[in-house]
Amino acid sequence: MSKKPERLQAGERAFDWLLLLFSGAVFYQAYQITGFSSINSAGAFPIGLSLIMIASSIAVLVNHRRKEKPNTRGPLDELTSFLRQHFPINVLVFCALAVAYLAAIQPFSFFVSTFAFLALTFIYLRQGKIVSSLIISAVAIAVIYVLFTLVFRVYLP
Amino acid sequence: MSDTISYLLMAWLDPQLLALTAIGTLAGIYVGAIPGLSVTMAASILISFTFSWDVNHALALIVGIYCGGVYGGSRTAILLNIPGAPSAVVTAFDGYPLAQQGEAGRAIGLSTVMSVIGGLFGTLILASTAPVLSDLALQFAPRDYFLIAVMGLLLVSTLSGKSLARGIFSVALGGIIGLVGMDPVTAQGRFTMGSIDLMGGIHYVVVMIGLFGVAEAFYQLHFLSKEPVRQKVDKIIPAFSMVLKYLPLSLRTGVIGVIVGALPGTGGDIASLFAYDHAKRTVKNPSKPFGQGAYEGLVAPETANNAAVGGAYVPMLTLGMPGDAVTAIIIGALVIHGLNPGPMLMIETPHIFWFTVGNLVLANIFLLIFGLTGIKIFTKVVELPKALLIPLILVLCVVGTYSLNSNMTEVYWMLGFGILGYFLKIFGFQMGPIILGVILGPLLDETYRQAMSSVGDSVSAFLLALVTNPLSLILTSVIVLVLLGNTPVKGWVVGQFQRSQ
Repeated sequence: MSKKPERLQAGERAFDWLLLLFSGAVFYQAYQITGFSSINSAGAFPIGLSLIMIASSIAVLVNHRRKEKPNTRGPLDELTSFLRQHFPINVLVFCALAVAYLAAIQPFSFFVSTFAFLALTFIYLRQGKIVSSLIISAVAIAVIYVLFTLVFRVYLP
Repeated sequence: MSDTISYLLMAWLDPQLLALTAIGTLAGIYVGAIPGLSVTMAASILISFTFSWDVNHALALIVGIYCGGVYGGSRTAILLNIPGAPSAVVTAFDGYPLAQQGEAGRAIGLSTVMSVIGGLFGTLILASTAPVLSDLALQFAPRDYFLIAVMGLLLVSTLSGKSLARGIFSVALGGIIGLVGMDPVTAQGRFTMGSIDLMGGIHYVVVMIGLFGVAEAFYQLHFLSKEPVRQKVDKIIPAFSMVLKYLPLSLRTGVIGVIVGALPGTGGDIASLFAYDHAKRTVKNPSKPFGQGAYEGLVAPETANNAAVGGAYVPMLTLGMPGDAVTAIIIGALVIHGLNPGPMLMIETPHIFWFTVGNLVLANIFLLIFGLTGIKIFTKVVELPKALLIPLILVLCVVGTYSLNSNMTEVYWMLGFGILGYFLKIFGFQMGPIILGVILGPLLDETYRQAMSSVGDSVSAFLLALVTNPLSLILTSVIVLVLLGNTPVKGWVVGQFQRSQ
């Protein structure tokens, strides 16, 4: 009995093409260092690595031929399927909160922004439970303060 | 000799080191057991916190975390059918059926004792082989180091994922990230794109925290609603006769664990798979059929994954090559503390080697103590909801990254690597090869240039040396065979051979 071929994931082809493009850009940057001036120059090894990236991303694309196409109808359907599969609302909201958190650290201080980030993500991911989320966030802040400021003595943002 | 003994017992006699090893082991058991937390994640975050500590204190904590973490995954694999760590995936095959049959306590007890036997066996091999290997490594030419690093990275690419091409891409990508910054020889900027910030390079801990911490946190958001199944746990300490019965299998799989662990880039996860396969093929009359609660199916992977810890230290301490992702992080810790992992470590700082050996033994003793006690509290803690865990991981990643250089730009980089890691992860790229690439990239660059300089930049002389020097010839042959073994050439050769039969 022959083994059923693997199916490509939605968005996999586009991603692998992007990797090939990226590898090309890395090659360009590596070439900019010293060109092909010497086999022992600062740019020689980076050029070698970038060529390996190009070759392996081409091999990844060639391997697609052995796989079945994704179960989608057209590029738009593939895009929506990709987003649905890998970017559920949880991931998107968490990612947005994480970016906002990092942006808020310097203007609003580490402890205030961390408390807000923890409280909001706990409330969102636990679908409510506001009071317990606020209490847990406050306890977490206290633990972070004791652990990192007093025990590990590291600089906090 | 007396010096060696005093180095060996350093962690045993210093109350602070003793306490740190104990805390590390206990914390490691929980880190390894809680799905979503990994030893690699914990070690990479801890490196930044222990940056300013004395090297022995930092190492004691990380060794404890490493030993405890490799074992910890088995507990949740047995109790909840959720392996807390990749090295415990195989443990769930027979561990969970045992728990369903009311034998959770005995399964945990047996896996603890076997893990400790594996851990001690791996440490014994480390102590006996590393000094010899280290002497041998002193005779290696830069070309041989280059070949060993290439071989290691190739093995990582082959063994750590489903596709060789993706593995090689990951390694090369890691290498490029590792080369960002000023060239140490000519001071030319490489991949800096004119940015002064990038002239100093990208700290590999930033990459590690991003790829192992943030990417994993994003990935775990897919499994928020998974409800664990609770099991009844009673008698834990296994009968001595039972331990004795499975000792021969344990020693055989211990050897497998050490060898797989010592191969650069392969760790407990692959060791446990090989050991399980070995047990299935060699044990004729298992206690129950494999997959339905065979004790042999528990003994083999648990011994092997802990034996792999000692194995992973061998190439790290003798060649400066990491055996797996955690030893890659430990290499970084040693470098940060001004040490020189590789053959010179045994000559310049023998106390670090013997301290590590003594510390590994101590961590295994603590593993036995903590592994056989406190199971009731443990079952409560590991059920910590991911909705609480994931945001806390992100905060820890921020604190860990910032504490490296007090630089917010590095924190943004860390998030960027986290998002990149998430994309790579969903399309089947492994994080381990990228990290090994980041660490080994600069070493490869350096040894390649030294090797080329030694032959007057002559490519033909370099290639000739690959086949005329015995060690280089062996290493080159292994590299060629590994490459060919992953191409259609292998199928063609096997076909020809079968036809000729």
